[in-house]
Amino acid sequence: MSRIHLQGLTRRFGGVTAVDDIWLDVADGEFLVLLGPSGCGKSTLLRMIAGLLAPTDGRVLLDEADITHLPARERDLAIVFQSYALYPHLSVARNIGFPLRARRWSRDEIQAKVAEVAAVLDLSELVARKPKELSGGQRQRVALARALVRDPGAFLMDEPLSNLDAKLRSSTRAEISGLHRRLGATVVYVTHDQVEAMTMATRIVLLDKGRLEQVGTPEEVYDRPESTFVAGFLGSPPMNLLTAEVVPDGDALRVRAADLDLPLGITADTPPRPVALGVRPEHLRLTTPDAAGIRGVVRTVENLGSEEVAHCVVGDERLCLRGARPLGLHAGDPVHLTAAPENLHLFDPGSGRRLAWQPVPSFSHHPPPLPHPAPSPI
Amino acid sequence: MTTAGAFVEVELVRPRVVAAGPAARPVWWRRLLRALPPYLYLTPALVLLVVWTYRPLAQTFQLSFHSWNLLPTSPITEVGFDNYTRLLDTPDLGAALWRTLVVILGMLPFTLVIPVLVGLLSRRVRGRAGAVYRAMVFAPMLVAPVAGAAVWQWLLDPTAGVVDKVVGSPINWLHEAGPAQIAIIVITGWHIVGFAVLVVSAGLTGINPDYAAAAGVDGASRAQVTRWITLPLLSPTMAFLVLMTVLLSAQWTFPLIDTLTQGGPSGSTTNIYYLLWDYGFHSYDAGLGAAAGVLFFVGFVVLASGLVLLSDRLSHHDD
Repeated sequence: MSRIHLQGLTRRFGGVTAVDDIWLDVADGEFLVLLGPSGCGKSTLLRMIAGLLAPTDGRVLLDEADITHLPARERDLAIVFQSYALYPHLSVARNIGFPLRARRWSRDEIQAKVAEVAAVLDLSELVARKPKELSGGQRQRVALARALVRDPGAFLMDEPLSNLDAKLRSSTRAEISGLHRRLGATVVYVTHDQVEAMTMATRIVLLDKGRLEQVGTPEEVYDRPESTFVAGFLGSPPMNLLTAEVVPDGDALRVRAADLDLPLGITADTPPRPVALGVRPEHLRLTTPDAAGIRGVVRTVENLGSEEVAHCVVGDERLCLRGARPLGLHAGDPVHLTAAPENLHLFDPGSGRRLAWQPVPSFSHHPPPLPHPAPSPI
Repeated sequence: MTTAGAFVEVELVRPRVVAAGPAARPVWWRRLLRALPPYLYLTPALVLLVVWTYRPLAQTFQLSFHSWNLLPTSPITEVGFDNYTRLLDTPDLGAALWRTLVVILGMLPFTLVIPVLVGLLSRRVRGRAGAVYRAMVFAPMLVAPVAGAAVWQWLLDPTAGVVDKVVGSPINWLHEAGPAQIAIIVITGWHIVGFAVLVVSAGLTGINPDYAAAAGVDGASRAQVTRWITLPLLSPTMAFLVLMTVLLSAQWTFPLIDTLTQGGPSGSTTNIYYLLWDYGFHSYDAGLGAAAGVLFFVGFVVLASGLVLLSDRLSHHDD
């Protein structure tokens, strides 16, 4: 299995920059998920790694070897397409054996290897069939088998589950995760589905408009989104983002907006500054009118079965609240909410980047400043 | 104290009306009126088909059992199978069939081999250059066959023609038996090749590019992708082109034969369509022409069904 390094990878189509200066290291055995909305450049990035598309700029390295200008067939990579791209005129066995045939394996060797891989993926009964005689899930497994058959350096997968129904999707998700664990394979997996990303990835790469927004484990990107894009993309419903202002109040900092006033848990003094305040729907708690930091009105309540989501209006902004059913709220009710300081996220309203609190050392009795922003509750 | 009780099944709640019979059907003329529009839309096409195809076909069949010299004043007499026996007795028919086969085989390079090669190669010409290139290949199709024939007549002229100057030998192309047939085939091929390239290009466009991409990643070279993936997936298109060639080659040659050689020299370019025309409109033997028409029609129906069956088996429903 192999490592992949992307160095300043860029692709422009005419005046549009589909992939913009991506630097990324994929470790050996890693399950890296490229996540983002449609049009964010994740498939373009994958096709450049596969060698199906030439980058405008930058380099692709596989185990330190520069493969930027190597044709796809000479790269040691296997790809699973969203459409599966099973050759319609060939039987399942010939589809799976295709990469070996291209490598001039003997007929007997191919047969043995195909039988072995087909058995792993529970396809032994189907090897004589044509792709059109298979169900969606079976086709998906044949596509996986064709990738598995030649022990590639890394697997590239382009939304392989998006053509399956919800139930099959979750079982195939588990199957691919299991396969990854068993083989210790390096996988680069493209999806727009955050559930797939959160459940399968060892690391998630969030892309927006061709640019890298954040790289991190599922916990990191969910718990500490580095930009308003990441905050607003992950979660269902995603993080609430409100226009607010950080103001000093006595010796502590508070975040304020219309009908909103919450302590940040930072003892300091700083000039007021506008921020985008982020708080996850599940981190909002109902409280008494006296203790309320947020006051609003319920617009609608959605029943999700185990939980309820209340859509509220605070000031002139919308806010979602998610909690165990019943929340005891009805449309039109006034609602009193609060959130713990450690669950508040602050972003710069202009750039959208996350704001971290960095205490300014007083030179008399404090150590020199830290090279990186110190971890803080926010 | 305990209370006695029993579990009862929860019943499905649904509104129930006491005697809900089947919904009343609308009256018959209203149903008819509702069903009518699709047939009304079809009517013009059906009328044209009947008037211009099926009625003449039936009339030809009828005429093949009669003798008539096309003069409105002369009588049409019934002759039974006489026309058919006469047709099968003449050596003309066999010779014309043979020449038709030669035309079909001679056309295949223009309708299949060259278009597939050009189609595969021109895929690499992209954007505006590709469009210009395809337009240039297609251009001869837009030239009227008779006008094209006139120009070719000059080009093939044995004394001043460009072709002989290039070839470097004084061949009288249109007045020697072998060269005349070759000239007819090449000119027809020149005419039709653009159309065939267009069909192949359309067929190639219809193949999902993911297949070639997948095969490339799977390790196949460009030649292997063409041989193992593209050509097999193009086979329905190629079957269609073969079908067109078999059924229509002789028809495509007709305007050229009629302007350039009139079936000659000494019948060497007379294929079955020209023979049929010759019987009917040069020998004024309508019955014989009709009998030939009926025979060819039946023959081509058999051939076409065979080819259609074959192309059905070749098509891989790509979904």
